[in-house]
Amino acid sequence: MAAIEVDQFVGRPAEQVWQALTDPDLLARWLMPNDFKPVAGHQFTFRTEPVSQHGFDGIVHCQVLALEPPRMLRISWRGGTLDTTVTWRLVPEGAGTRFLITHDGFDETDSAQQAAMKILGGGWRSHLVRRLLYVLGGDEGGS
Amino acid sequence: MFDAIASPVRRAILDLLSGGARPVHDVAASFAMTRPAVSQHLRVLRQAGLVAEERVGRERHYRLDARPLRTVVDWAGHYERFWQRRARLLGELLEGSD
Repeated sequence: MAAIEVDQFVGRPAEQVWQALTDPDLLARWLMPNDFKPVAGHQFTFRTEPVSQHGFDGIVHCQVLALEPPRMLRISWRGGTLDTTVTWRLVPEGAGTRFLITHDGFDETDSAQQAAMKILGGGWRSHLVRRLLYVLGGDEGGS
Repeated sequence: MFDAIASPVRRAILDLLSGGARPVHDVAASFAMTRPAVSQHLRVLRQAGLVAEERVGRERHYRLDARPLRTVVDWAGHYERFWQRRARLLGELLEGSD
């Protein structure tokens, strides 16, 4: 399974970043309109533009799987063909906070993609993958 | 079966084939493995669509086909960019609110 990891430094204390993750109005301002509640088991949706060629109707169905204020929030993330998990972690760093995002559990139905992801083993930017893509004559396909 | 594809030997075979198509005995020699063992690995890779077989004279050569990886990488890049943009927005949202 492939995992996507993103890491962003925010020059604010973790408690303040936590607010932005768990207050529905703030959450809507950086992510998407939602009916989130910071309660384990709560089911909610994010709403955005549909992407018809990916069979995505614009609704992301989610559930709060785990939360540890102000350190970690994990939600399920289902929409279109995706049935995945998103984990947000906050790590205090100096006067600010490191915001770590892990989006994982990708499991495409297409067997070639599924096989390819097994080979990627979560490391889609690995040395091997870069080399294979170089052979294909393309770039890395992202930053 | 897909778990089996994560095998380091098969990754090494893909790496080797990224240098160009090779016959099975060549691959076997590179890994000090028996031909049947290598053929078995190549069969799994072929089923996954990552290796293609082609006839060269009387030999069969195995060629890397990384297109399925390309799709996955493009798609992983799409989600990575999505989260990078959103995380930056979150930062701007908070850092701009003094």
